[in-house]
Amino acid sequence: MITTPGKALGDLAMKLALSIAPETSSAYAMANTGMIAVLLQALGQDSERAVANRLADIVEIKALFTAEGVPNTTARETFLHREPQSLRLSDVMTHHAEGLNLLIELHAWAEANNPKLDQSIWSFLLNHTERDKFDW
Amino acid sequence: MNPSLEAIGERLATYLTECWGHTQTLTLIEQIPGGASRETYRVRLCGADGEQGLILRRDPTSSLIDTERALEYQTYVAVYPTEIPVPEPLVLEEDPQHLERPFSVMREIAGCNSAVADLALPPYVGVRGRIGEIKWTLLGKLATLDIDTLGITSFMETPTHPAAHELDYWAGVIDADSLHPEPVAQAAIRWLKKNLPDPSGNLALVHGDYRSGNFLYTETGDIKGILDWEMAHIGDPLEDLAWSLDPLWAWPERTLAGGLIPRVDAIAIWEQVSGYRVDPQAFRWWQIFASLKGLAIWISSTENFTNGTTKEPILAVAGWLMTDRHNRILVDRLSPNSAHLYAEPVL
Repeated sequence: MITTPGKALGDLAMKLALSIAPETSSAYAMANTGMIAVLLQALGQDSERAVANRLADIVEIKALFTAEGVPNTTARETFLHREPQSLRLSDVMTHHAEGLNLLIELHAWAEANNPKLDQSIWSFLLNHTERDKFDW
Repeated sequence: MNPSLEAIGERLATYLTECWGHTQTLTLIEQIPGGASRETYRVRLCGADGEQGLILRRDPTSSLIDTERALEYQTYVAVYPTEIPVPEPLVLEEDPQHLERPFSVMREIAGCNSAVADLALPPYVGVRGRIGEIKWTLLGKLATLDIDTLGITSFMETPTHPAAHELDYWAGVIDADSLHPEPVAQAAIRWLKKNLPDPSGNLALVHGDYRSGNFLYTETGDIKGILDWEMAHIGDPLEDLAWSLDPLWAWPERTLAGGLIPRVDAIAIWEQVSGYRVDPQAFRWWQIFASLKGLAIWISSTENFTNGTTKEPILAVAGWLMTDRHNRILVDRLSPNSAHLYAEPVL
């Protein structure tokens, strides 16, 4: 078994970009091979971190839902006490989507009613986008 | 020649032979990479007048940008006689019986490059300042073209409130195509709705995707053709200026707008040529809108790649990596505590 799939995908990306793409016979094939190499690289990064990143988001979203001055709603309350059905990425994504939808609603409320919470949500969005950024 | 490409080329030659009334023989066909909204092919045909280079643009089965091919083609027809250089439009065929899908044909502008990455490499790096000056000069000229004289009002809607019109459209794309909640896009939409500028009263032909990568340049630093008018519409000319300066088009360098010249120089050239003054407040809105529109296109391409029939890698690259970048740009632009890592403070 390959124990480091993220690294393996990155290595395959390099092979594709540096060895195989230059051997292709048309600009179209070369460009597409290059793009697939970039995608493999991204997939390599995400395979390593996707579950951890979504779970980190969920923890921070839950902290925002219990912040001072946040009104209780049944939906938020339910979310706070729920966990993903499993650690499979698809299950984590379902739970993550539920949290983000509630966060969007809360953010709209905070913009009008709670500037401190609004700022905290922007800090979360910064963490969220930085966590998910691709480097290559 | 690739046999499947050759078949397309042969059918095009047959079609154009009937269209033009004299025999056309295929000598070359190759697919051009990067055609995200249309399949694009370079074709050479030999006829009674010798060999000619053509560009064939055929509808894909799934596209990065949902556009009207007729609108794009008519825009080329309208712009071709003006000072803005565009390829000569030759044929629009909407009947799919000839090439399986609708297509258009334009005359090739030969001897040019359009690759963004090459602008930073010899021999182009030495003339990129000149290319930048011409790029924003042409954009300034585009803003001065009279929409009635151009004739575009006959096939394009004239919005009463361009900013509201564009925001409605692209917010709708995000709502329709998001496969996962998009908290940054939704925050940006709320901000844009809350801060909507009054109509400036300036109406122009807006290219809609005026950026490095969408024009043909030469080794001597000339621009020979502005391409990809599929998102053209009538609107506020600040929209194109803001889009052209989006940090994504210079990523990750950012010091040079579109990888060409400093953004203050680009704005100064545009102001001088167009005769318009950039209103900072309205321009802030259009810059944030530009990043949201970019995000909407990437969200839409994610949906296309996931659910559509075409699995073009460019859809996945746009949907995955570009979404990441425009999310970061928008957080940078809207967050009250922004460190401006990805986007410069607006104006």
